[in-house]
Amino acid sequence: MPKRRLLGCSFPVLIGISVVFLVLLVVSFASGPLGAIMFPGVELPSWLSVPQPEPKLPAEAVFHPFGFPITNTMIAAWITMIFVVGLSYAITRRMKLVPGRLQAAFEFLIGWLYDLCREVAGNTDGRKFFPMIATIFLFVGFNAWLGLLPGFGSITVHAAEGEVHLLRPASTDINLPLALALISFVFVEVTALRRLGIGYLRKFFDVREFVSGLRQISKGRLKAGLPQLLTGALNIFTGLLEGFSELVRIVSLTIRLFGNMTAGEVLLLVTAFLVPWVLAVPFYGLELLIGYIQALIFAGLTLIFITFAATPHGEEAH
Amino acid sequence: MEGLGINPSMLIAQVINFGILFGLLYLVAYKPFMRMLDERSRRVKESMEQTEYIKQQAAKAEQETEKRIAEAGKKGQKIIDQAVKIGKEVGQKAQEEAKQKAEALITRARTEIRRERDEVISELRKEFAGLTILAAEKVIDRSLDKETHRQIIDQVLKESPGLKKG
Repeated sequence: MPKRRLLGCSFPVLIGISVVFLVLLVVSFASGPLGAIMFPGVELPSWLSVPQPEPKLPAEAVFHPFGFPITNTMIAAWITMIFVVGLSYAITRRMKLVPGRLQAAFEFLIGWLYDLCREVAGNTDGRKFFPMIATIFLFVGFNAWLGLLPGFGSITVHAAEGEVHLLRPASTDINLPLALALISFVFVEVTALRRLGIGYLRKFFDVREFVSGLRQISKGRLKAGLPQLLTGALNIFTGLLEGFSELVRIVSLTIRLFGNMTAGEVLLLVTAFLVPWVLAVPFYGLELLIGYIQALIFAGLTLIFITFAATPHGEEAH
Repeated sequence: MEGLGINPSMLIAQVINFGILFGLLYLVAYKPFMRMLDERSRRVKESMEQTEYIKQQAAKAEQETEKRIAEAGKKGQKIIDQAVKIGKEVGQKAQEEAKQKAEALITRARTEIRRERDEVISELRKEFAGLTILAAEKVIDRSLDKETHRQIIDQVLKESPGLKKG
């Protein structure tokens, strides 16, 4: 007769786990400030409680070698880079035609990004854009995911500015999202310029209609020239708007990533302060999801921008 | 700007970071991945082409086999027909030959018999002639009376026992 099991455990084990879980939950709740307010009489040892976080927007410098400040976010970014590159190297060093488990997982992730690029940008363009898009996705994603590891926001060191966290998720420093946004912007514009030539700039500054209107008027044909002049002026105006919107993309990309990541980090710090243990776990799950979504949004938007910009529009673009 | 923490040197450092990451990932992730992808699609294409080729070849071979089998059947039938014909001919010939041989045998036997009979007859004749001559001699030698005549004949008969039996 088969043993009855629930969630893959036999009943005694399951009950034991639930009890431990409940005890942790109660202790965690009681040790936080919420518990202290609700049960004023209960006193727990001070090592159980988490100090109140003081989130700051600028990243803190941890070291100053050669007068150049190394911030905690920079260290985190390096860790991400080492992790991603190291993992990729370990897997691709001996690639097999019939993949093992790790290689299959790697190929699944990269292949998914590759397919995304090809679906949006077409087969040949997708292949060209894929390295940039994939790098953005992996960098943003792993920055967010590795920031959830224990050690981030908990290890402190003495620095010039006082007690400072050694590690802080890299995207919570606005310099990284801004750098990514600038790279994305330059990538889009340069690719479009190379693809469409100087005519690409006409999208931002189209004076053809305006000039031909002026010519008509100078020849004395006022009735034909005036509407052309007006459409020309409108074209110039929409071109300016177009240019402005491209510039605004930098800001929106930066702030979206920075805001989401910083908010997530603050949320985690605050939940860890309020209810240190069990109840904070769902928020980690949430942050895992948000990291994925932000990576997808950043990479996906860049992909869409580049696809739109690199496709010749002709006249119907208005 | 200061409140957000934007810092030009940090910004440039992050751009460089991204550049390094891009370059390294290109080398260790994208390039091997693409190569593997291309290799795999090439293999799939190749094997599909091969399959197609083999299929065609098999169909061709089957046709060929069928043709051959049909041909062989025809040939076999022909050979059998021929064999039957030849067999019949051979049988007929054999029969005829046997008949001829038998006839020849019979004829030979008959001539032999006849010859032997003739020989026997001629021998008998010779014997008879001898006997007659002998008898005549005896007759001539003596003056014959009835008694002596009788004696002589009996003597002759006694002297030639072969004649008595035959």
